[in-house]
Amino acid sequence: MTLRNHIPAAAACSVLIFYATTFASSYDQRLLALSGVYVILVLGYQFIFGHAGALSLAQGSFFGAGAYATGILASRWDLGFLSTLPLSIAIAALLAALVAAPVLRLRTHYFALATLALAQLLLLAAVNWEGLTGGANGLSGVPPVSILGWQAQRGFPLVAVVWAIAGVAMLLARQQMNPARRAAFAIARETPLAAPAFGIDAGLLRFRAFLISAAFGGAAGALFVHTNRVVSPETLGFGVMVTCLTMTVVGGRTRIAGALIGALLLTHMPEWLRGLEAYYLVAMGALLLTMVLFAPDGLAAFLPAPKSQSGPAALPEHAVSATGFAGPPATLDASGLHKAFGGIRALDGLSLTLASGEIVGVIGPNGAGKTTLANALSGIVPPDAGTMHLAGRMISYLAPHDIARAGLTRTFQAPQLPSALEVREIIATARTHAGAQANAPTVEDALAFCGLADMASAPAGTLPHGLRRRVEICRAIVSRPSVLILDEPAAGLTLEEQAEIGTLCRALADAGMAILTIDHNVDFLKPIADRLVCMAEGRILAYGNPDGVLADPAVRAAYFGMDA
Amino acid sequence: MIATQLLVNAAALGAAYALVAVGFVLVLNATTAVNFAHGETVVAGGFAAVAMASLLPPDISVPGLILLPGVLAVSALLGLAIGALAYLPIRNQPPVSVFVTTIAVGIIIANGLNAGFGAAPRSAPPLIGTGGFEFLGATISRQSLAIIATAAILIAALAWLLQRTQLGRQFRACAQDPEMARALGIQLTRITLMAFALGTAFAGAAGLLLAHQFFVSASDGGVLILKAYIAVVIGGWGSLRGAAAGALLIAIFEVGIAAIASQPVAEGALYITVLLVLFVRPQGLFGEPQQVRA
Repeated sequence: MTLRNHIPAAAACSVLIFYATTFASSYDQRLLALSGVYVILVLGYQFIFGHAGALSLAQGSFFGAGAYATGILASRWDLGFLSTLPLSIAIAALLAALVAAPVLRLRTHYFALATLALAQLLLLAAVNWEGLTGGANGLSGVPPVSILGWQAQRGFPLVAVVWAIAGVAMLLARQQMNPARRAAFAIARETPLAAPAFGIDAGLLRFRAFLISAAFGGAAGALFVHTNRVVSPETLGFGVMVTCLTMTVVGGRTRIAGALIGALLLTHMPEWLRGLEAYYLVAMGALLLTMVLFAPDGLAAFLPAPKSQSGPAALPEHAVSATGFAGPPATLDASGLHKAFGGIRALDGLSLTLASGEIVGVIGPNGAGKTTLANALSGIVPPDAGTMHLAGRMISYLAPHDIARAGLTRTFQAPQLPSALEVREIIATARTHAGAQANAPTVEDALAFCGLADMASAPAGTLPHGLRRRVEICRAIVSRPSVLILDEPAAGLTLEEQAEIGTLCRALADAGMAILTIDHNVDFLKPIADRLVCMAEGRILAYGNPDGVLADPAVRAAYFGMDA
Repeated sequence: MIATQLLVNAAALGAAYALVAVGFVLVLNATTAVNFAHGETVVAGGFAAVAMASLLPPDISVPGLILLPGVLAVSALLGLAIGALAYLPIRNQPPVSVFVTTIAVGIIIANGLNAGFGAAPRSAPPLIGTGGFEFLGATISRQSLAIIATAAILIAALAWLLQRTQLGRQFRACAQDPEMARALGIQLTRITLMAFALGTAFAGAAGLLLAHQFFVSASDGGVLILKAYIAVVIGGWGSLRGAAAGALLIAIFEVGIAAIASQPVAEGALYITVLLVLFVRPQGLFGEPQQVRA
């Protein structure tokens, strides 16, 4: 990062300081302080709503919790800012941690419900627990920010304190959201099913995002109370949540500039739209709706994007051979796998062994349970019964991201690639999260081996289908797995592309990787597979050398629809 | 008997909640998205009743029930607008987008009503009349009985529509498998918009039913959507019958605890229960029928 990149930020800072100390009236200064408060709130919300992609309706509640914590501690216990701020942050984060367990496993609509219920619960408590909170009237007489005897009075001192903390919040947000983690979040958000298959622990990411959003919310609430000098149930009301959501959508969901734009704009907007009077909030709603419909990425998307650091991959100086990609030789042993969906038995007592260095092809009619087998082995859809061992280690009950870290990775029937991420980011994220050891190939090695060096900085969404398949394979092998599962790797490819994928697989297997590949295309499988398995109705119909299996009368009847 | 009286009150409240919840599920099934403005459409129905009642001659007392067709019609139009503005343009985006657009619509409705009618709670005329009668020593209010009867008739009509008519079959087909329904020539857009119209009409009717005894104010939407949402989680995501049953359960829970303790305690207990339910069963009380394909 060069000094040049900081010029816009420094310029914006100077203009802000100049305005705050010269032209701004005391009312303008109040608005500035409020904007700073909302910058912190929105930065936090970007973690859970923007990066994790979960609609939390509790961000206003963390704000309110921080507000009440500061209000009560400062007005009743006379604690100074250096104690009240950390305590307010801690209380908000603690609250988030308490509800995180039930809430974070939930799917979108239940997550929204649970966070909304939490918000209503806190509001009820604030209104009805009069002894602590002052009830509907709240608590007045909150002292100004006081740090070691110095008091930040309203006006410029308060603006300075708020924006200093907002500055720290921005730095923290940037440090937390480094490009690698940004990419991991994008993958978990946009391809939730596939993310764990590359070692991404989406639950942990969400947990972290939820805690950070709460901590930022708590800090914002604390500062809000010092700005207003009273704390009332309004700080916990749905209004704060709506304001925060609108600022985030209008400014931008994932960029720090978005938080700044959204907070500054929407704090000052009521002044500019005074003529609307009571209908001002209607206009707010209309603005929110319009943004989602026409500019879902927010106003920050119209700023120049932060420059990507990468160009085309620097080709590794050594020749890249398949050897480096095969993990320690290991046997995958699955025994008695059962999986039923309602009345349909997708896996019906299936057993299978896959040894280091061999390619096993799986064929079978649609609905035979092939994809369910891949999902079961990779832990994405845990089997109802049966055991799976990888190199003698039981993996049946491991979470999919742990199975990936244990050395079993896979590709998907429909490539699961977040369209906005660059190829290199996707590969690098998999390398980090799937627990690649130091001796694993570098990202550049993997790109070169899969013939992707020229496309390293292309967004995955711009690649043609054939290349996406290669990105998927590259992502699966970069962590040096022992076992690789390919779900229809040749589907939709030209004959030439199929041959390339076939050569790639053979080289990996010769280097010691165990490969299970599902495909309909017998012409693709036959030349590369050491053994063929034909599945039907969740069971193995025939297995053995390819010619034998293809000649088997039962296979011919079930799969090719021929009479024996 | 105080218990009988409480039970009738709970049933009336539950019947109105059931209309809200059933309307919510109608939209949910057609779109697989949550209409967050649904609570505000209940409020809008209540205010539509208040506004229409003010147009009636003040000297003769008119039963509120004659406002029902008008409220249903206005609400259906509102539902069409919500579907066309806040759902159709972004139907292919992730579900979070629909949450946000419908939250936006909710803000517009709530604040529009607040600006137009003021923040004070308003009351719509009673459905057939005030007062009550003695039954087994308990005083049963006419309004409560009228609410129960109206809601029951509307839900029965919906059940008939869904089970016995061609349109209803199309509705159910779209709910089960929209892709397949479309492949069979069902116009998904038309069905989706009708679901919004029908679902919102039910919400509006609930607004009329609630607006006499419980009053209506512009800021009620948030709590109402929460109740509908909880009813659906209790009754099983996507199940109409479950939603109605869940709504009744919530009302009994609320009225019962409020009678022993207080209204805030009842509400708090309800929210804590929901969080506990989601803790124990993150997939909802009865799980979800659809499965994801990797």
